[in-house]
Amino acid sequence: MKKSHIIAIIVIAVSIGAIISTVSDAATYADFTAAEMNPGREYQVVGQLNKEKDILYSPTEDANIFSFYMVDNSGLEKKVVFHGAKPQDFERSEQVVITGSYEGEEFHADKILMKCPSKYNDGKGEGLMEISAESKS
Amino acid sequence: MIEFVGENLIAGKLGELLVIISVVSTLLATVFYYNGSDLDLKDQSWRNIGRFFYRLHSAAFIGLISILFYLIATHSFEYYYVWRHSSSTLPMRYILSCFWEGQEGSTMLWAFWNVVLGNILIFSSKKWEGAVMTVFSSVQFFLSCMLIGIFVFDIQIGSNPFILLREHVDMISLPFTTNPNYLEFVEGNGLNPLLQNYWMTIHPPTVFFGFATTLIPFAYALSGLWKKEFQTWLKPAIPWAYFGIAILGLGILMGGAWAYEALSFGGFWAWDPVENSSLVPWLILVSAAHLMLINRSKPRSMFSTFTLTLFAFLTVVYSTYLTKSGILGETSVHSFADGLPGQLIIFLLFYLFVALFFLFKNGFQFLKASEDDAFWSREFWIFIASLVLVISAFQITISTSIPVINALFGTSLAPPSDPIAHYNSWQTPLAVLITFMMAVSQFLKYKETPFKDLSKKLLPSLILAAVISVVFIIHLEMDDFFIILLLFTSLFSAIANFDYFARILKGKIKKGGSAIAHFGFALVILGSLLSAGNKKIISKNQSPVDIKFEDNKNANRENVMLLKGDTVLMDPYYVTYTDRRIEEDRFVYFDMDYLKVNSKGRYEYLFTLNPYVQLNQQMGNVPEPSTKHYWNRDIFTHITFADLENLDSSSQEMYRESDTLFLNMGDSIFSSNAVIKLESFERKLDLDSLGLNADDIALGLNIHAKTLDGENYKALAIMVIRGNQLFSIEDEMEELGLKFGFAGINPDTEKLTILLSEKNKNAGDFIIMQAIVFPYINVLWIGCIVMVLGSLIAVYQRFFN
Repeated sequence: MKKSHIIAIIVIAVSIGAIISTVSDAATYADFTAAEMNPGREYQVVGQLNKEKDILYSPTEDANIFSFYMVDNSGLEKKVVFHGAKPQDFERSEQVVITGSYEGEEFHADKILMKCPSKYNDGKGEGLMEISAESKS
Repeated sequence: MIEFVGENLIAGKLGELLVIISVVSTLLATVFYYNGSDLDLKDQSWRNIGRFFYRLHSAAFIGLISILFYLIATHSFEYYYVWRHSSSTLPMRYILSCFWEGQEGSTMLWAFWNVVLGNILIFSSKKWEGAVMTVFSSVQFFLSCMLIGIFVFDIQIGSNPFILLREHVDMISLPFTTNPNYLEFVEGNGLNPLLQNYWMTIHPPTVFFGFATTLIPFAYALSGLWKKEFQTWLKPAIPWAYFGIAILGLGILMGGAWAYEALSFGGFWAWDPVENSSLVPWLILVSAAHLMLINRSKPRSMFSTFTLTLFAFLTVVYSTYLTKSGILGETSVHSFADGLPGQLIIFLLFYLFVALFFLFKNGFQFLKASEDDAFWSREFWIFIASLVLVISAFQITISTSIPVINALFGTSLAPPSDPIAHYNSWQTPLAVLITFMMAVSQFLKYKETPFKDLSKKLLPSLILAAVISVVFIIHLEMDDFFIILLLFTSLFSAIANFDYFARILKGKIKKGGSAIAHFGFALVILGSLLSAGNKKIISKNQSPVDIKFEDNKNANRENVMLLKGDTVLMDPYYVTYTDRRIEEDRFVYFDMDYLKVNSKGRYEYLFTLNPYVQLNQQMGNVPEPSTKHYWNRDIFTHITFADLENLDSSSQEMYRESDTLFLNMGDSIFSSNAVIKLESFERKLDLDSLGLNADDIALGLNIHAKTLDGENYKALAIMVIRGNQLFSIEDEMEELGLKFGFAGINPDTEKLTILLSEKNKNAGDFIIMQAIVFPYINVLWIGCIVMVLGSLIAVYQRFFN
């Protein structure tokens, strides 16, 4: 076999490996029902903040615990505990994407991505600004 | 008809006219250049007309850019684009950022660089002019079309940057559109506060300049395939490829510098999709440029060379699609949501089709003809290194394209939840290979090198790299296998390239472009792994409060709370939050003093950092970090939370609602700033001087407060019974911001009802912060500058010798 053939085979093998790793490392979008059924498994849940209910953050007690209630896209509401500081302007968020897993009675998130509407935006999806409050463990 | 007051309509009409001229002239330039594209053309008349139309397009384009700048500078909010991206209060230095914040402006920026490069090619490309300018003109035609903004059968073609505010779809039904004097009260929406940063005025033009330069090798490669001149196109294209590497590389790292200085994720690179989509074209371009070099004298891997050169530009278009179509949506911190996905897809597919067509029609023969090079030859190692770069680009592209995969196949994959770990698990080993090959191939000769010679030359670099690696491993307590391996190979690469430059080239700068550039790139990798791979979060919460989720893997403790005046240990520093202040009504600065304990056990002041929050009602407040730079490390400080309500001083002085407490005489309680003790009853009260009636019953309560500094304060709260009424005369400790009321006694339990309230300023002033030490991050920035200089030296050598 020529060297170039061996190289070609290696390149193809590694490329397939890259595709497989992307698929296997990819998280899954889910709703709270799926997350609740598989406690401990990591999911990304998209939904809206329930602004009526308590948004609790008392940094004087613990700066790294922040909790709120979120309604997922299927309409189910759950308490979410975020392990990190409360993102600035969280109350103004229009959509929230949380990453984490269900444990006990709550969803424990370690990443929040939120979208804030700009004042003059009338819901056309324009001028969204995202704030990422990421906390890496 | 309503007569609107104060509108400057002529400028916009002129701008729209110039867009039309640009579209028509690029189309004509394409047609005429196409007819004059033959390489051995005698009659220049087709080309001359093509040239005329390209220049007409250039003039029109510069005209319309000037008009948009003029409209932004004069705050002409009657234009939607100006209103959307600027405001009259915005400092003039950000006018450039306003220009390209939107979709239309960034398209214009890209096309502007093509105008510049196209005019250079008209002079420099000689016999290739007809062919390469056909490609250039056609690309400019596509880009110009993106600025038209007309509807053809309900399909919008392009987006007009000169559309009026009152005629924009989002505004058309609003009441102001019928008010003739609307301009008197319209104020611009303003620029996204994240972009109000000096890096943002130079980073996008540099990246777009780099993007635009990929079109030159693309145009040459396509012309080479088209005109069946398979070798000669390499010579004029190579300098441009390396010029593109320098500019795009600089632009990408400027973006990293912006992320590091102004964004809050703590680092210069986060594998964000937008970062990735600028890195991929660079990797492909580097790969293509190296293949061009080894194929220059003798064709050995021409198929790969053509493919990669073409794909360097195609990945730029794909990047533009990813970032501008809005498809990245939920996955990116800075994707631009408003887009014209359809047109970008047509743009991409058109050139993909043209490239593949010529590649398979005329380039396929080279796939079979390739013969193997010797293992110990420079060309073989360069070829393998290029393949590794392609694999690196491929992996990044696949993972970044998850939203595209979802759209194509209907899957619902989400991006990796820990993107940094995901990308690093691939890119770190690939970088090990790349840096290793960068060191070895520099010492390899073309054709064949005896292994003995090679090993003798490389041995000093290997030993030195190993020794320095050990020093770093111990000093930074490194333990990750791949990071250590990369530390060694990048050191080896830097040292070997330096050695090659010093010993073999005898320090001759003119010849040293390649060695200097590779030395610089090795430093970039070294700096990245030293700083990002060994960053240390020093702000660990050490408060006495229990961690509530002790066994939870998610519980992270990277933030610390500081009350004003507190000093907290952030090893090896002590940090005090001393004050905060508001400037220009919208910047809230925090003074963070960094101290150390000297040998006498006293605090010694080191420096102050001023992280701040930019207040922005429309788009949300933006926190910006502050960083202390030492030669060997940076201390990054970032406010993750601050109470930004009650900022003004009058509300700071107001009392909050009181707490009702039930206490026994002699009890002690804590307020935010003192220990409070109920001392004794005071029965002898002068009712008259208190303004009370003679038949009122009054009982005083002596309250004593002791601050943490040991100062004492006293207050006397009085309970009054008048007939069947009961009320309290409050007393205040002005200096402490405390107010006491005595509202009753429970006759059964003898507990006293105490009302305690504190001023807003007592509690409001705390922050939550994060502090990270980045070791040796300067190696990265120095490496970047060295790499760019090295590449430019190489380009200079090729252009002028």
